[in-house]
Amino acid sequence: MSVLKRVQQWATFARIWHLYDAAWQNPFYSAELLKKYLMGAHKPIYHPMNDCGDHVIVINSSDIALPGDEWKKRVYFHHTGYPGGASWTLAWELHKKDPTLVLKKAVYNSMDGNLQRRYTMERLHIFPDANVPSNLLSNISNQIKQLRPKPKRLDEYTEKEIQEFPKLIDLPKNHILR
Amino acid sequence: MNTIFKQIRNLRLNINFQNKSISLFSPLRLKEINETQNKNELIISGHIVNSGREPYLLKNPHPTVCPVCASGLDIKHTDVLILSQFVRTDGCMLPRRTTGLCRRSQKRISTLVAMAQKSGLMPNLTPANSKKDPKKRYGWKKYNKYFDESTIKIR
Repeated sequence: MSVLKRVQQWATFARIWHLYDAAWQNPFYSAELLKKYLMGAHKPIYHPMNDCGDHVIVINSSDIALPGDEWKKRVYFHHTGYPGGASWTLAWELHKKDPTLVLKKAVYNSMDGNLQRRYTMERLHIFPDANVPSNLLSNISNQIKQLRPKPKRLDEYTEKEIQEFPKLIDLPKNHILR
Repeated sequence: MNTIFKQIRNLRLNINFQNKSISLFSPLRLKEINETQNKNELIISGHIVNSGREPYLLKNPHPTVCPVCASGLDIKHTDVLILSQFVRTDGCMLPRRTTGLCRRSQKRISTLVAMAQKSGLMPNLTPANSKKDPKKRYGWKKYNKYFDESTIKIR
């Protein structure tokens, strides 16, 4: 094996570390995206028996966004096994308890329940904010594009930007400013 | 001291009452009302001011059509720079006689404004007594949410 081929072999089977910013992203659509990277399904060498999955570091998981009123409609079920041991937790209550759990469960449930699932989940590193340990941060070599752009709040624009933005309507002369 | 304050308060109440009963201001085409308090007298002055929008106003190529329909924009609830043109400083939607929109657009824009407010994207355009920061809201409302514009039902 030539030197070049050997390096190609290393590069092919090396695990890559990806970064994903979950701020204002739907965790359930993000799970479908992240699952491909975690399982290695985005690689041409992918095979279920081939251990070629990548690592994904997810930051800002406390800022995930759900559509409409799904925070109070989505319910997580747990049963202790004892009679009367059923409990139902709303998504926002679970998120309040641990801001990484909604995303973690979304990725876990998006994958098929086989023996590989637990090992694939080991490669997912979720952080509620942007504070990632530097030994993990130094591995990152790729960033996964966000599914929807993070919306900019009105108070984040400068006074000048708001004033000089093209206006659709003008206020009538008899309008009283309040 | 206390009695003076009481008198001032009474004076202000009286003046406000007079103001309402004879409606001094709205028919006189005023733009801004200023209240200045000098010891025992309250001066209420109104004057016409420019809205500041004239140089940046988009030209409507079809004057018979409402400005939003004529612009042909697909406005989303995240376009706060557009939506903030249709609200008062307390975040309340301007009426149709002021905005001059068609019935459909007015309905759609007001729904989009409500969506933007619920997502906490216009926290500086809120009533004075509200908590400006969306993270300070109660319960599930403090977490980020977004909306799908295709769910707006307009006939």
